[in-house]
Amino acid sequence: MKKRWKYTLVVFSLLLLLVGCTNQNDNKDSSMALIKTTQPTPMKLSNKNSDSLPAKVKKEVANIKEIYDVAVIEGNKTILVAYKVKHLYRFRMKSIEKRLTKRLKNEYPDEKFVVSSDYKIFLEAVRLREAMDAGKISKDQARKRFNNIVKLKEELT
Amino acid sequence: MANKNKTKTPEQIQYDQLQKKHELKRPILKNCIRAFFIGGLICLVGQAVTYFYIYFFNFTEQTAGNPTVATMVFIAMILTGFGVYDRIGQFAGAGSAVPVTGFGNAVISSAIEHRTEGYVLGVGGNMFKLAGSVILFGVFSAFIVALVKTILTMWGGF
Repeated sequence: MKKRWKYTLVVFSLLLLLVGCTNQNDNKDSSMALIKTTQPTPMKLSNKNSDSLPAKVKKEVANIKEIYDVAVIEGNKTILVAYKVKHLYRFRMKSIEKRLTKRLKNEYPDEKFVVSSDYKIFLEAVRLREAMDAGKISKDQARKRFNNIVKLKEELT
Repeated sequence: MANKNKTKTPEQIQYDQLQKKHELKRPILKNCIRAFFIGGLICLVGQAVTYFYIYFFNFTEQTAGNPTVATMVFIAMILTGFGVYDRIGQFAGAGSAVPVTGFGNAVISSAIEHRTEGYVLGVGGNMFKLAGSVILFGVFSAFIVALVKTILTMWGGF
């Protein structure tokens, strides 16, 4: 009897811990961004005139059959393309990234792209989009955060 | 088998037959299924821990692996200390030994086993008896692979 109490207590405290951790200030989209398809609308942080470029890039990337979720953010110098690869194609992630980079380079030779299939980068892109939409951060702050996201791409081990 | 039987005495052959009659058959399929599911469950927990690090901390998919492994080994060590992991091991067999949690179990269980022989010669001397070879194998094979890759990169320019 005593043992059962102990187990119940352990399970209960674990549940409490997990539930407590989920109580973050995230919106609906980003809280499920790792699991569900989010399809965030493309965003522009640069001062360039071409309004439609991020949307065009997103459409182009979303057409690839191995990819199912795309986030595009246009910064001042670089365009970030974060995407999720369908589960069965995840073994070929490197070749997909290579192909995509090449394709984007051919299509838009004047732009510099940062292409990544990392969940963290995708999640941060969605969070940045939400923070901008909610008006929590200014454009300058957003640019800073964008640069930090791009830096994540270079992080290894 | 026939060759072996030739060297055996009639009593030994008789005993072998008797043993065969009473020996319990190993439930290989059942063991495999158990190992598959419990091993998968451990991996599921590992995946959840990875997502936890990606979601709440500043880890990418590439970097989240290190803290995940550390956490899983730590959890396995604590469960071994409480005697829970032994039961999981009895039930799942290889399913609980093959994932990285089995490593934590190997370290702590041998530490507990040799506790009576003292902290230095007992615990310290025997803690890595099983796990030490795993570490050595990992480090050495990583060294060899790195060496081969370096040579190939220098020559082939991959």
